[in-house]
Amino acid sequence: MFSYFSRVWAARYFWVHLALADLRSRWRRSFFGVTWSIIQPLGMTVLLTLVFSKLFNTDVLTYAPYVLSGIVVWEFISANTIGGSLSFVQADAYIKQCNHPLAIYTLRTVLGSSIVLMLASVSLYLWVAIMMPQNFGWSWLATLTIFPVVALIAWPVSTLLSYISTRFRDVPHALGLVMQSLWFVSPVYFEAKMFQNGGLHALVDYNPIYHILQLFRAPLLQGEWPTLSNYAFSLGTALFFGLIAIYVGYKAERKVIFYL
Amino acid sequence: MRMNKINQINVKNVNLHYAAAAYKERSLKSLMANIFSKKETNNHVADIHALKNINVQIVSGERVGLLGHNGAGKSTFLKTVAGLYPISSGELKVQGQVRSLFDLSLGFEPDATGRENILYRGLLLGLSPKFMREKIDEIVEFADLGEFIDYPIKTYSAGMQVRLAFAISTTVGGDILLLDEVIGAGDANFMAKAKVRISSLIEKAEILVLASHDFGALQSICTRGLVFHHGELLFDGEITDAIAEYKKINGLADAN
Repeated sequence: MFSYFSRVWAARYFWVHLALADLRSRWRRSFFGVTWSIIQPLGMTVLLTLVFSKLFNTDVLTYAPYVLSGIVVWEFISANTIGGSLSFVQADAYIKQCNHPLAIYTLRTVLGSSIVLMLASVSLYLWVAIMMPQNFGWSWLATLTIFPVVALIAWPVSTLLSYISTRFRDVPHALGLVMQSLWFVSPVYFEAKMFQNGGLHALVDYNPIYHILQLFRAPLLQGEWPTLSNYAFSLGTALFFGLIAIYVGYKAERKVIFYL
Repeated sequence: MRMNKINQINVKNVNLHYAAAAYKERSLKSLMANIFSKKETNNHVADIHALKNINVQIVSGERVGLLGHNGAGKSTFLKTVAGLYPISSGELKVQGQVRSLFDLSLGFEPDATGRENILYRGLLLGLSPKFMREKIDEIVEFADLGEFIDYPIKTYSAGMQVRLAFAISTTVGGDILLLDEVIGAGDANFMAKAKVRISSLIEKAEILVLASHDFGALQSICTRGLVFHHGELLFDGEITDAIAEYKKINGLADAN
């Protein structure tokens, strides 16, 4: 176990390079380049807020950052599930040539999407700082914990999905559907109180996605610290998937090359 | 340098099977095709027994050539030694840093320049950026691509890519060098340089294992030959004898 992670560490220059190369190729030759990661969620937020605030009768000023936080985190989640499940398949040329631990290829996705998440959150911080300055306080420090926490969840989840998708190539297609339904039952764009008012407490209380989002939303939107249960649920999810991923990796890692 | 470390490859009773499930087409199209197919052999895909009870010991300083028809197990043997394939039974011990050249264009980023790609390839091989910066001038000089080294890789011809890849992989070094059919690429001028480079690598008492169909290259580079035939190791000995044996097994007329 320990030697596995030290091999991941030994290959760090390689997977960091791959992650940065992904980002470079994503923004290559575009005029706005990196700023697209900021513009895209912002534009989406404006559109959604205009429609939803009318529909749900909510205040635009507070609802917009709610949607924005949902968009940037959801973008990260889908990059690591739908996109992450293809990590091994896309890296097949490397896997067939170099004996690197396979977990570095999902780490590449996690790192790349984490950087995008950080960039995209800049506009969220700015929006809240300007529009809701009363929320500013020490609790904002807690928002920084979202980055390591989501990475700790995304790494095992995408690794696990990669193992399954390499063997069963239908999985990435099906995942689109699964994630769509997960989005639908999670307070990503819809406010948590809408679920609670509708008697769907469980969809909020036991939903790791809600708890992850609270790491952003509690400090920025309410000026409060995230609760202990927010952290417990998020880290519990990481541990749960971590253990499964380690077990599956232990059983299947060496056989992956036959399925590429 | 590393006096107390003995580089060696020790292969004992090694068997390797490819998982058949991985190759079974499970699409509807192939299912229909199988129903109407008259060939019975196509309906059943068994596990492929790619290496059958292989016993080889290669020690420091040896240059080994692998011979065999297509699909005989040469590449599988190399990839097993490289640690890419899991063996089904037996014992495999490889001591020393393995460097393999299987696909030369791997790890190149088409939009980046040759110089940048030298760094990227080094990172792929698990090296640090600092180490690569020290080696970059030596690599540029050996690849000898002139001004093209600062052009994007996508403007390179196949031969130029090979030159760059070969220069990188042989400059960064390693204790065990595994080459699969890569000698043939590159023009005559570069080939001569490549051969000199390989012999100097060998002089550093490293291990070289080379799979090739080019008898000339095998004879000039290697001293020992292994002949594979349908996954079995049929011959292990002098390279000239190995080439003769290979020709005999495969029913090739001797040129003499």
